[in-house]
Amino acid sequence: MSKVTVDQIIEIIEKAHLVKDANALAHDKPLSEQGVDSLDFSGVLFNIEEVLDIEIPDEDIDRLQTINNIVIYINNK
Amino acid sequence: MIAITHIGTYLPENRVSNLELIEKFEIDENFIREKIGVGQRSLKSSDEKASDLCIKAFEDLLNKADFSKDEVECCVVVTQNPDMSIPHTSAIVHGALNLPETCACFDISLGCSGYVYGLSIVTAFMQANSLKKALLFTADPYSDIIDPDDKNTVLIFGDGATVTLLQDNYPGLVSLGFDFGSKGASYKNLTNEGVLYMNGRAVFNFAAATVPKSINKVLEKLQLDKEEISRWYLHQGSKYIVDTITRRLGLKPERVVFGMYDYGNTVSSSIPMLLSEDLEGIAVGEKVGVSGFGVGLSWASAIFKKK
Repeated sequence: MSKVTVDQIIEIIEKAHLVKDANALAHDKPLSEQGVDSLDFSGVLFNIEEVLDIEIPDEDIDRLQTINNIVIYINNK
Repeated sequence: MIAITHIGTYLPENRVSNLELIEKFEIDENFIREKIGVGQRSLKSSDEKASDLCIKAFEDLLNKADFSKDEVECCVVVTQNPDMSIPHTSAIVHGALNLPETCACFDISLGCSGYVYGLSIVTAFMQANSLKKALLFTADPYSDIIDPDDKNTVLIFGDGATVTLLQDNYPGLVSLGFDFGSKGASYKNLTNEGVLYMNGRAVFNFAAATVPKSINKVLEKLQLDKEEISRWYLHQGSKYIVDTITRRLGLKPERVVFGMYDYGNTVSSSIPMLLSEDLEGIAVGEKVGVSGFGVGLSWASAIFKKK
């Protein structure tokens, strides 16, 4: 799989209509501090898994608090 | 032709507010209203059993439908929280209602998909045995198995029961087709070993991925377009999952019925609870869709037409 980018992750979040303005999300700030609650976060991960055809185990979730964390995690999988 | 003609319901009067749990679980009112979609939960008394809830739902049915108990030929209860492990709860209901000895009784052990499965099973059983009248009960009192400190479950589930009267050769909702399925390999995500355990993320992923496919499958099988379905009754797992399925299927939100805010997720009762409110208003020729999903992990979707 080619390397995923921040823009791709934001595009996935935007297309899933999970937040009001996905482009306004800071890349290095926890999503939970930007209005993304636990259910929305599950929705974000679900859409990433579906679009990129990957599986994110529950035990890895604590490492995925920011968009940057998510990109690094996926690229190291 | 077997049809759903009347639905009786019962919700215990006692309510427990989720708003009082905001501080305990570090959530806000918006999360309760817009995501969980449950402001208060119906709670039975501790000595009430599944059969007691069924009997209350039957009393409501008697107020809605003109029929005699002596005519009932089949009595089925969908539950995974039976009064006791032996006998089947339908036998207890049968005895309490003094139904005829010629009436067949059995339980169906399914959770949130149970009502849709039950409709298919009972319809087929009636057709195979030339039965005219059957009662399909749903009652799964989860309050007996909920851990009050578990945020994943305590905010969601409420107690309730329904009973659907199915009759041969009567006007009502007639099934056009079903789709069923299971992911037994994932059963550990929703279990009861004394206390209910739910991996909310796994159950959400399952529902978001599977239910739209199931609904599309039954539509394709019947060569119907989703625009031809006037109302959708999805299992009320949470507002978030109902909204997610609505969005992923591209359904018009105004056609998707939502109504769990005042009593919670009543498991196999959630679909008939909502359907009971609309049943009389569904016009002849109108088609409605239903889909139940959850424990198992299991799902069942169907399309009905008012005839």
